Amino acid sequence: MLPLILRRLGLGVLTLWLVSVLIFAGTEILPGDVAQTILGRTATPESLAALRDQLSLNEPAIYRYGNWLGGILSGDLGVSLSSNTSIAGIISDRFTNTLLLASLTALFGIPVGFALGMLAAVYANTRIDRFITVFSLCTISVPEFFMASAFVLIFAVYLGLVPAVAYITEFESISQLLRSLAIPILTLSFGVLAYMARMTRAAVLNVMRSPYIEMAILSGVPRGRLVVRHALPNALGPIVNVTALSLAHLISGTVVVEVMFAYPGLAKLTVDAVSLRDMPLVQACAMIFSAAYILLLMLADILAIMANPRIRHAS
Amino acid sequence: MKSTNKTARQLIGERDVDCLRRLYQGGRLTRREFVSSLLNLGIGAATAGGILAISPTTEAATPKHGGRVRAATGTHGPDDTLDPAKFKSSVDYCRGEQFYNGLTRINGDLRAEGELAESWDADPTAREWTFRLRKGVEFHNGKSFEAEDVVYSIRRHFDPSVTSGAKVLVDQIDEVTAENKHTVRFSLKSPNADFPILLGLHNMKVLPAGWTDFSAAVGTGPFTVKEFKPGVRSVGQRFPNYWDGDKPYLDEIEWFAISDEVARINALLAGDVQLLGGVGAQAAPAVERATGVELVTTPSGQFIEMVMMCDRPPGEDNEFRLAMKYLMQREDVVQRLFQGRGRVGNDHPIAPSDPFYCDDIPIRSFDPERAGFHLKRAGMEGGSVEIFTAPGAGRSATELALMVRQEGRKIGLNVEVKRVPSDGYWSTTWMHKPIFMAGWNPRPTADIMLTLGYKSDAPWNESHWQNERFDELLELGRAELDTAKRREIYCEAQRLIHETGGAALPVFFDYVDGISNKVKGFQKIPLGPLAAGQWPKHIWLES
Repeated sequence: MLPLILRRLGLGVLTLWLVSVLIFAGTEILPGDVAQTILGRTATPESLAALRDQLSLNEPAIYRYGNWLGGILSGDLGVSLSSNTSIAGIISDRFTNTLLLASLTALFGIPVGFALGMLAAVYANTRIDRFITVFSLCTISVPEFFMASAFVLIFAVYLGLVPAVAYITEFESISQLLRSLAIPILTLSFGVLAYMARMTRAAVLNVMRSPYIEMAILSGVPRGRLVVRHALPNALGPIVNVTALSLAHLISGTVVVEVMFAYPGLAKLTVDAVSLRDMPLVQACAMIFSAAYILLLMLADILAIMANPRIRHAS
Repeated sequence: MKSTNKTARQLIGERDVDCLRRLYQGGRLTRREFVSSLLNLGIGAATAGGILAISPTTEAATPKHGGRVRAATGTHGPDDTLDPAKFKSSVDYCRGEQFYNGLTRINGDLRAEGELAESWDADPTAREWTFRLRKGVEFHNGKSFEAEDVVYSIRRHFDPSVTSGAKVLVDQIDEVTAENKHTVRFSLKSPNADFPILLGLHNMKVLPAGWTDFSAAVGTGPFTVKEFKPGVRSVGQRFPNYWDGDKPYLDEIEWFAISDEVARINALLAGDVQLLGGVGAQAAPAVERATGVELVTTPSGQFIEMVMMCDRPPGEDNEFRLAMKYLMQREDVVQRLFQGRGRVGNDHPIAPSDPFYCDDIPIRSFDPERAGFHLKRAGMEGGSVEIFTAPGAGRSATELALMVRQEGRKIGLNVEVKRVPSDGYWSTTWMHKPIFMAGWNPRPTADIMLTLGYKSDAPWNESHWQNERFDELLELGRAELDTAKRREIYCEAQRLIHETGGAALPVFFDYVDGISNKVKGFQKIPLGPLAAGQWPKHIWLES
């Protein structure tokens, strides 16, 4: 098992490196550059050249890539070109906000989604199952921006229960924090829990078709115990994978929610940085997102390896 | 004053004046609109001034102290700054008004009013300007305000490494010197009758001499920085030693941006923000219907246009440009694209709200026949053209391009609307393609607007329109201190652009903001959303 895990780790590092090349190349081919954005529409060729020199945009790409990668490896994310301040400083606040929203959403969405999926699997093809299926298909199909607008309209504008902008002004109390984040959490969890429920149900029911379950049924194991005790352990692999994907999505895919609620998270920062052509900032954000994805998926894979008796006992 | 007021009412009927006065007090008319409406009713200027005495400021003249306001505008980002030289968006501008002062400020009539300068005068050539400074003004760090601070703050813009957004404008200053502790002299390279207005621009805020640290703002403004996070928010706290009487009235201001338009409106309707910049014409009815909030429209000089570059086909032929100008359904654009919140443009960039607007030039109305005639003369009948546009090119710019396409096809011109991404529009499409859409923010003076966008060698001369006489007129206008003569000069300039300029410019549209009913003392300034950011200095909260 250990060599398998080590190989998985090695693959993770390799992927991360490939991604870094892609990110760098991607930001290279965007039209226009930060010098142009800083100087605005009035930029004269001379001032552009001077500023490009100042920001060392004239060095060859390979050289700049090397510098950048070296910086990241030594923990230095560099300096934001548009604001001339340290990227680590800009990102740390935003990343904390992103993690806060993601973890609160995960705490709510993942258990609820899992429970709904299990419920649907235990009561497969009954009314409960059909209700959960229809509900989750509906929430998956409705786009986030629509759901967010609808929630704001109902809960903030008409009922006045919660603020329309999820804006943590000062940390006062947990209840106040939850109140101001309630709608974003709700919006994001709907997507997550529906996905979780669908995948849990599918994974469990898939295992339910295997011969050993049939054997268990014939031995008279009750349905609930059958699903939880016998089917679930073998379905855990795919479920863990879905959980990891959902978590990664919560970290990098929340731009719509951040924009709708003026929530100062990392995704909105990335979009702003792209439009400002602040490449070091874009690259740093993109690296954080990719690293989160790769790390979470790697963890899921390792957990799956450890959960699978065939792999666990191989070698 | 009361008696003149009464005779005026008897002369023209009480109803009209009352109606106008209500509109003015309710903030729906600017001072300029109010006075000119009265003048149109046949009331003399002096009498109009008498009626004006019942202005919003005097009528509700019991400002209250205290309270906290949250206010939001449309865009911000990691490049938000507290360095006045780098200010470039309305979110920066409002911070400038909270934390700093200029020598002058630009008021609702687009005139310069003293702020850190008490008074000023120019020599007859409009080249030597002397500004006498206010005494007893204190910076947030305790330093007292003196002439050296002004000299430093102006000279900063000359330094190329500062990359000031106002460099082009300050380049006309030859030298700035402190005559004594409270007098500053400016010598200009060429005359400029508008110089005091230039000193009221957002970039021209005054810093303490030698100041270079912009992690916080140290100015003389009504609020001090309690918190500043670029792209997140700023919090301003009342500066107790502010020089302007008992202003400011608020204790604290939170200022940020909500980029999504729907979310922005919702925040206002839910009461999360008390002032909201940039409501947008489409959302205006929803705000109008809501209780507790009020819609404030400020007629302004912001516009959208279709630019035809004059140095390449098809725009190089003035016949073609005229054809396109006659295709503009100006009234329709105002009514349909802006819900009536704007006025028609006449193919030049000076808005009817500008003191130098020339109303002698008849509005070029929609005339497909004449358009067809000019199209034929340009030899473009049956030809095809492409109009480039993007969501970020200007408000409703794409819709305008589509209107041109529809009308163009009717006269045998095959118009194709090319939509490109907003991202990179200003660096790769604007001033690169032969025909493109563009939106402009208003400028405080006719001179700045014309110089920036139409002078032959201006970097933003977007249509590459060349006209020697026009360049000459700009010089003449700047050197003329007599307003009547200046009006003539600028009228000729507008006529030149109207006849041969490279832009079909159908509309000037209003700023539409939403404010809570509790906010009082809001003054309209037609240079940007939310009174061009100047509201922190004037408003108070009614409980």
